[in-house]
Amino acid sequence: MGAKVRYAMVCSSNQNRSMEAHALLKRHGFDVSSYGTGAHVKLPGPSLREPNVYDFGTPYKLMHDELRRKDPDLYKRNGILPMLKRNLGVKNAPQRWQDNAADGCFDVVVTFEEKVFNIVIEDLSNRKQVLIRSVLIINLEVKDNHEEAATGGKLALELCQEIESADCWEDAIDDIVAAFERQHKRKLLYTISFY
Amino acid sequence: MISDIGSKHIELLPEMVPCLIAFLKDETPAVARQAITTGTSLFGYVLEKLVIQGLYSSEIDDSTKSSWAWMLKFKDAVLHIAVQSGSDGVRLLAVKFVETLVLLYTPDPYISADPPQEPVYGLGFNISWLRGGHPSLNVGELAMEASQSLGLLLDHLRSPQVKSLSNSIIIVLIKSLSAIAMKRPSFYGRILPVLLGLDPAISIVKGVEVPGAHHALKTAFVACLECTHSSAEPWRARLVEALKAINDSELVGQATNKNSGGVSISNEESLPLKDDNSSMQACDEASSDLVRKRPLAELNNDLLQDDSFSGKRIRQSTHTVQDLPNEPLQVTADQESNSVPVVGSVSSKDKSSGPVQQLVAMFGALVAQGEKAAGSLEILISSISSDLLAEVVMANMQHLPPTCPKTDKDDVASETGYSSCLASSVLPSIQSSPLISDIHSLSSLSPLLASLLNIQPSMSHDVAKSHQSSEEKATDTVETTLLSSSVGDGSAMMPVTLPASVSPFPVVTENGSSAVSLSLNSATEERVIPGVDSPSSIDEIQESHDASHSSNPEVNDSSQDHATSLGSLVPSNVLSTCSMATDVSETQSTGVGIFDTSQASSTASLVTSCQYVLPKMMILDVNLTDEAKDQLQKVAFVRILDAYRQVAISGGLDAHCSLLAHLGIEFPLELDSWGLLQKHVLSDYMDHEGHELTLRILYRLYRETEQDQDFLSSRTAISIYETFLLAVAESLRDTFPATDKSLGRLLAEVPYLSEGVLKLLEGLCCPDRSEKHEKDFQSGDRVTQGLSAVWNLILLRPSSRARCLLIALQSAVHSAEEVRMKAIRLVANKLFPMPGISQKIEEFAHDKLHSVIDDVPAIEDMDADESTSGLQEDSKLGKPSSSRGQQSDNALKSSTHLDQNVMSSLISEAQRCMSLYFALCTKKRSLLREIFTIYKNISKAAKEAVHRQIPILVRTVGSSPELLAIISDPPTGSEDLLMQVLHTLTDGIVPSQDLISSVKKLYHSRMKDADVLIPVLPFLTKDEIFPIFPHLVNLPIEKFQGALSRVLQGSPKTGPCLTPAEVLIAIHGIDPVKDGMPLKKVIDACSACFEQRKVFTQQVLAKVLNQLVEQIPLPLLFMRTVLQAIVIFPSLVDFVMEILLRLISKQIWKYPKLWVGFLKCVTQTMPQSFSVVLQLPAAQLENALNKHPVLRPPLVEHASQPNIRSSLPRSTQVVLGLVQDLQASSQGQTSQSQAADTGSSTADVATELTQESSAVS
Repeated sequence: MGAKVRYAMVCSSNQNRSMEAHALLKRHGFDVSSYGTGAHVKLPGPSLREPNVYDFGTPYKLMHDELRRKDPDLYKRNGILPMLKRNLGVKNAPQRWQDNAADGCFDVVVTFEEKVFNIVIEDLSNRKQVLIRSVLIINLEVKDNHEEAATGGKLALELCQEIESADCWEDAIDDIVAAFERQHKRKLLYTISFY
Repeated sequence: MISDIGSKHIELLPEMVPCLIAFLKDETPAVARQAITTGTSLFGYVLEKLVIQGLYSSEIDDSTKSSWAWMLKFKDAVLHIAVQSGSDGVRLLAVKFVETLVLLYTPDPYISADPPQEPVYGLGFNISWLRGGHPSLNVGELAMEASQSLGLLLDHLRSPQVKSLSNSIIIVLIKSLSAIAMKRPSFYGRILPVLLGLDPAISIVKGVEVPGAHHALKTAFVACLECTHSSAEPWRARLVEALKAINDSELVGQATNKNSGGVSISNEESLPLKDDNSSMQACDEASSDLVRKRPLAELNNDLLQDDSFSGKRIRQSTHTVQDLPNEPLQVTADQESNSVPVVGSVSSKDKSSGPVQQLVAMFGALVAQGEKAAGSLEILISSISSDLLAEVVMANMQHLPPTCPKTDKDDVASETGYSSCLASSVLPSIQSSPLISDIHSLSSLSPLLASLLNIQPSMSHDVAKSHQSSEEKATDTVETTLLSSSVGDGSAMMPVTLPASVSPFPVVTENGSSAVSLSLNSATEERVIPGVDSPSSIDEIQESHDASHSSNPEVNDSSQDHATSLGSLVPSNVLSTCSMATDVSETQSTGVGIFDTSQASSTASLVTSCQYVLPKMMILDVNLTDEAKDQLQKVAFVRILDAYRQVAISGGLDAHCSLLAHLGIEFPLELDSWGLLQKHVLSDYMDHEGHELTLRILYRLYRETEQDQDFLSSRTAISIYETFLLAVAESLRDTFPATDKSLGRLLAEVPYLSEGVLKLLEGLCCPDRSEKHEKDFQSGDRVTQGLSAVWNLILLRPSSRARCLLIALQSAVHSAEEVRMKAIRLVANKLFPMPGISQKIEEFAHDKLHSVIDDVPAIEDMDADESTSGLQEDSKLGKPSSSRGQQSDNALKSSTHLDQNVMSSLISEAQRCMSLYFALCTKKRSLLREIFTIYKNISKAAKEAVHRQIPILVRTVGSSPELLAIISDPPTGSEDLLMQVLHTLTDGIVPSQDLISSVKKLYHSRMKDADVLIPVLPFLTKDEIFPIFPHLVNLPIEKFQGALSRVLQGSPKTGPCLTPAEVLIAIHGIDPVKDGMPLKKVIDACSACFEQRKVFTQQVLAKVLNQLVEQIPLPLLFMRTVLQAIVIFPSLVDFVMEILLRLISKQIWKYPKLWVGFLKCVTQTMPQSFSVVLQLPAAQLENALNKHPVLRPPLVEHASQPNIRSSLPRSTQVVLGLVQDLQASSQGQTSQSQAADTGSSTADVATELTQESSAVS
């Protein structure tokens, strides 16, 4: 591959799973972005019915400060504050996948939930496909909690490294996926769309 | 780059395209790909330009023409690539190119077929514009070509080619084709058969690796289904089938992965499903018949949009009427998301929601086509399994506009509006009570009702009670509408029960029911609507109705609205068992009808949990402040809890449990429903009902955590779950006696164990010291309780096994001995035999054992330092203690005296770490060796601990082969321990022959230390003992004494192996020189024997002396022994004299050493010895008298006695000076000879002395 492969990590809120992977891949020198597909960015609140809802684009810093003001104990304990802190070191604010047309084409999109996977595929197929640039979309099912996100991030990194090392992922993807599934006993779902 | 230039300067294309074509063959995939990408966009561009130019002018300029020609060449090249096998990356794009080509070449039905008036570039075009004629392009030809290209793609997916394709190609092909199919529905007929045929082919070929292709296929099918174009319709049924197949296979996969949690619920779920099945099939057809009779337009309106639409509409209208953004939204959202069950969603349903939803959509679409689709509808119905069909129906019901039985409860004493509201929160049950009485009479009509009634009686029972308890007089206006419609040929009776209780809004009710009846009129031929009015205070109701009616016209509107939609939906949705309920509760004080959405959810949850296939309540709500709502909910909740007790008595617990659990979930957190629930659970735990309830709640929560991918809700649910579980567990611990099994049972059955609970368990198993003091009296039982719970968990919960094991193990090294022993019993007896975990236990014990090496000495050193600083003497004693063995034991004792506390704590610390390992040794003897191996490395405290413990262990193990192996080949440094083991083994029991031979082997091969033999000495034979006797004597005196007693004692069976006499003789038989040991040792050994006067009695000594005196040569110590014997037993003197006499006859003076002893002896035994002395030859006599001058005077006196003197030889008398001068010459002669004798004897002495000194040295 001539140009550098561009990666996108996508989960629903662009907070936990995608950011974990984003941070990790970034550290490993990948050209990576991350997105959420939800309508809003939701963070756990004091109760089930009182989530903290933000719009995409709200800086992590702002959320961090606000939550710290609200209940530093609670949010530290449930790992939200550390997560936000991590996030604000990676990028400014959560971004929404559906609004990312301006960010250009990605070569590989990793999603962490089948719902998100489907949304991404649908979104891509709804866009005008003028560039005829193929994009690989892989779903790696990761539960939305801190521990799983950490494992998921590592797996995503490994997967991306595999893809990166391939000469041409279109040729190698079947083998990569099969090898990955064998090694980690995790099912991958992938598809190919076009920009 | 090229594409940019190309699009701007079309005249350059003829030069660029050849280049592109060349690039296509480039080795590097990236180059080829870029070429295709560029080519594709250029192709579209040129074509567009060509078309538009041709449209508006009959002439096309040359450059465009030549560009087009080149583009066509390019196209051919790419088509070639698409067919060939090559780099997947390139092929993907080639396929994409073909897709574009097909799309370009075929008319787009979605864009106007008429060309725009003005030539506009870049906005897309439609090939159908060309129909009007084009100078160079022909629509028909292009269509042909498109069709051919499509065929190309399709061929790929037909087997057997498909087998050679990679997954990615397959996915792209599928996606491309489905895109074509959607955009050009006219190709449906060609594409879908291939896609449909693909599914099995793929699964066969690729086996496991197809999820990607599968998924693409599914997406494609769903997308095709969504397509509304007319030519798509014939394919729907088949698509549905295929989808179903795909989903089925997925479901199977999921089912295997499915957690077993929530089983109880899903079991219950299956019941109503089956109930419905029987009638469902027929109903379905009937309904479709009904539908067909309705005007198509209306159906399109209602059904095309899916049923949820109408429901949504009502929601939204309700939403506008009322100012409650949160809750209605939530419900709406639920509908929108199409998740089948709103509150009581069940795992099995969750999974199937996908296919079911699709099927629902399908039905909707099919029905929408009316007669046309009847055929396919039938096919569809017959092809779907009855289970699935039932689910479809049920899913549809979810989308029903909730028409609810309207009950008004006018609380007579109601001063606040809340109480009536809360009454209605128990509504479903309350409602059903009057309902049942009504329905009951009609139940024979309805087989389905029967199943409903099974559950309801208990409910009504409960309700009745709660009524009484709250002393409320409820006025219920109930109208039960029972629709019994028989459809078809009449053989199938379709009972449609529609129990609807009517609210005090007659208008509303009228609207609703009339609408219902209207719509039903249009649909059904026969219908019965019996209305049953229960006695009520009509006036009051009327009054309140008026008030609310005037204030709430919108309510009516919406009900009307929804009633109509109900009408339209009833037939289409096969409402064989639809009881609809509208709840309008009215508050007099405010004059406003209050509908609480949260109640809606609660009632709905009850409905679902009770497994009635009931729609949600349609509930209207009017302004309530948040606090008021909270208050309401709370009160309602408490009421339900109270009612629970009655329910418990009357049965019907199941429903109630579920209700409470669901409520807990639904309630906002700050209301502390958990706190209430918790209290309740505990108060009820005694009856074992609390357990059930707790479990349900926990499982409910667990599902919440598991199913919700949503970060926030799963987090929250987790935290609630953990808090709740912990709280219940804690209070169980604190409220019940330790013998109670509830806690263990709870922990064994909850969905999963949180860290908190495990900590609690840990606390039970490993109580802190402080805690222990608090409730000392029961801590032991607590530990037992905790441990048995842990054991249970280890057995029943493989997932928590490691953690629980750790708890047990920690407990097994607990500092309190009581705790430790209990835990060790558990671990060693119960857990260790379990194959899966024995390894872990062993490792743990091993680590702990080794930790003794590292930890305990460290502490000890520290202590040593302390004592050095404290007492100088201490350290002096302490230093040599570092050497091993007996000495160190002594030192140990001394230092123990000094700081006993430190020492004992060290010992117990060592013991703490080691007991587990010791316990394991009894189970697995091969572990024994390790103890011996580390023994030399551990501190004295640890050694002490080992010494304390090993006897128990050894006694348990006995002389097993493993132990014997160790004995015969012990690790170096473990001698002390080995000794103890031997002692233990031989203590009080007869050692096995194996043991003895092992010991002997050890003695001969490894340790020449006779020490090891001591324990088995009694069991050796005389012949075996004699050779080793010198070694025994050579031992430190204490040990020799031990050995001596053993030898003398012997084994119980065989008796003493040596008699005391034999022992003494053996001792005397030792030759210090030959046996290489100091004489002193032998002397000490003798002394040791003499000390035991009870054993070595006078007789024994006499016997010994008797035998010894016969030996030649005489034993070195003989005279010494004689002397000792006299000292100890003075009465032996006479016997000794005899001995002495015999010595004289043996010429004792020839043994210089013995001679010394002899003389000493005679000196001591004066006067008895005189007679002996006088027997000496004169020369020896003189020698003796010279050496012991004290002898002379009494001897002379003795000899002077006449009778004695007469018997004395003359020479003797001369020596004694009794005969003077007379025989001087003879005397001189004798003295000369005597001198010669003495001379030689002195020489002897000298040699002997040198010998002795050399021996000594």
